[in-house]
Amino acid sequence: MPGLIENFVIEPFHRLAQQLALVVPALITVLVILIIGGALAYLARLITYRLLVVTHFDRLMIQTGMASTIDRARVFRSPSDFGARLVQGVLWMFIILLALSATNAQMTQDLVVRFVNYVPDIIAATLVLLLGSVVSKFLARSALLAAVNAHWSGARLIAGGVRLLVMSLAVVIALEQLRIGRTALLVSFGILFGGVVIGGAIAFGFVARDLAREWVQSILKSRASEDEEVFRHL
Amino acid sequence: MKENGQNNLSSELLSRLNEIGEAEIVVGIPSYNNARTIGHVVRAVNAGLAKYFPERKSLIVNSDGGSNDNTREAVLSAELDVDSVLLVSHPVRLVSRISTPYHGIPGKGSAFRTIFSVAKHLNAKACVVVDSDLRSITPQWVELLAKPILERDLDYIAPYYLRHKYDGTITNSIIYPITRSLLGKRVRQPIGGEFGLSGRLAAHYLEKEVWGTDVARFGIDIWMTVTAIAEGFRVAQSYLGAKLHDAKDPGSDLTSMFRQVVGSVFELMETYSSVWQAVNGSQPVPMFGFPFEVGVEPISVNVDRMIKTYRQGISDLREIFQDFLSPQTFQGLTACAERSGEDFRVPDLLWVHLIYEYAAAYHHKALDRDHLMQSLVPLYLGRTASFVLEVRESNAIEVEQCIENLCNVFEAERPYLHHHWNDRSRKEKDHARAN
Repeated sequence: MPGLIENFVIEPFHRLAQQLALVVPALITVLVILIIGGALAYLARLITYRLLVVTHFDRLMIQTGMASTIDRARVFRSPSDFGARLVQGVLWMFIILLALSATNAQMTQDLVVRFVNYVPDIIAATLVLLLGSVVSKFLARSALLAAVNAHWSGARLIAGGVRLLVMSLAVVIALEQLRIGRTALLVSFGILFGGVVIGGAIAFGFVARDLAREWVQSILKSRASEDEEVFRHL
Repeated sequence: MKENGQNNLSSELLSRLNEIGEAEIVVGIPSYNNARTIGHVVRAVNAGLAKYFPERKSLIVNSDGGSNDNTREAVLSAELDVDSVLLVSHPVRLVSRISTPYHGIPGKGSAFRTIFSVAKHLNAKACVVVDSDLRSITPQWVELLAKPILERDLDYIAPYYLRHKYDGTITNSIIYPITRSLLGKRVRQPIGGEFGLSGRLAAHYLEKEVWGTDVARFGIDIWMTVTAIAEGFRVAQSYLGAKLHDAKDPGSDLTSMFRQVVGSVFELMETYSSVWQAVNGSQPVPMFGFPFEVGVEPISVNVDRMIKTYRQGISDLREIFQDFLSPQTFQGLTACAERSGEDFRVPDLLWVHLIYEYAAAYHHKALDRDHLMQSLVPLYLGRTASFVLEVRESNAIEVEQCIENLCNVFEAERPYLHHHWNDRSRKEKDHARAN
């Protein structure tokens, strides 16, 4: 009977205790990393937020036109809040990686290594998207203003097209950087881009004949009126 | 890149100037492909110098932007028929003439820079600049622009013209009212194109580091006027009669005109913010010359097209406007767009608030500055249409009264400008509240 108890009760508990003795310190380490890391990330968010407010980051974002995009998401209080939370998010990502590496398990180790190798690509893709967003907004606004001042009735359409085109290009470059569906992506983009151009041409020819006529007429008319008008602004 | 204005004369020009030695009066004529009209301008200037300043050594300098229509040859070959101008005394001194290409950014400002450098090199007491496409210039213009400098110890003479009521609408609706309101001097044509200035003021301009900016293009006129007033030089104006130009306008692209002229005003508001913030009210400046009635050329204006552009601007650019304009101003603009035909009006108060908010937005960099200036163009066209409709049946005196009323609103609303200028942008305030 004592042998039976030894074999079926004590021995498993002993093995469990041994397993726990191996795992618990790692779990405690993970927990400590998450708690301390989380606190540090929160602290970093507060410091970053104060720094961004003091350095007029909001003003910079307003000037680049990014503030409107951030405001439209209705998630962040201000561009400074967005920047601070971004820093906190990035720190959390590293904290989780650090915590996983502390478990000493082969699978998590591999995952961490692969992810760390992937980080430069993620950063590059994020930068491409951010740059694409700023450039597309700027170019779209330039196109909109130029079209309005040239008296083109489809000004918003032109601006939207410019934005879509530049952002599509940025997304394709970002996904290419992340090595996601390279071939399929390029082919899809080619088909999409070709389709948009052909579709646009057909639409312009059939549906937007009036717009095309108005556009051409406005150019001719403005030239004619420039000749006949001696209106001096200065 | 900012650039200092001195030492920009070619060695060839310098050796020619060394031959001349000194000149009391330098008359500068900037040009670019003006062969058709510049001969008349040179003859008028030459006659003016011979008739009104026979005993003073003078030089006519043409600063050319690389014309390919023989403009420079036209300058040098323009003959003055001495008998036809009925000189009381024959000129004691001959008027020298130089035509030289200027260096730097293409534009009137770079041409002026060369003229001022020549004036400085020759120790000129007075420097006069006149446009090369003038059809209404008379010899007396030279007297009216140079004599107050030489005999009354003044530094800057701005022109005073009679113009058609629809002519010079940027001047009438923005530039004159805002410079008058900010600097307290009633210079009616701050961007007239013809000016007289003292040798010391010309040398002072050259020391400024602006010759690589928009000032070197078409912002030069307003920059000269504002700098002269803000830096305490003695300013006056001379009545020149009518101003008639050649049909070709070098600044006919309205968008770039806005960027360079209105943008220069906003830029100068930054430079002289401590000066204008201390100014209250406005005073007239001394006027020379004998005012007389003249006929002005009729001008055709397409009001419908201007209103259409205004409406399109309000509709298509609303997100841009909402980014930096106050809600009241934007609502006011929207309400104007809904008024049709003859009832279309952009009221004075709304226009003044709009301009002041734009100045503040430029100061706060609430938007890319080029975009900001471009977005003002359709609104300006709306205001111009409103002005045309308002004064359609008015005579010159009534039109001038309308402009005077607008100026008074600009002056009365100065606190509005101070408030917006010294406050943060609306969006920034929203974010600050959220923070």
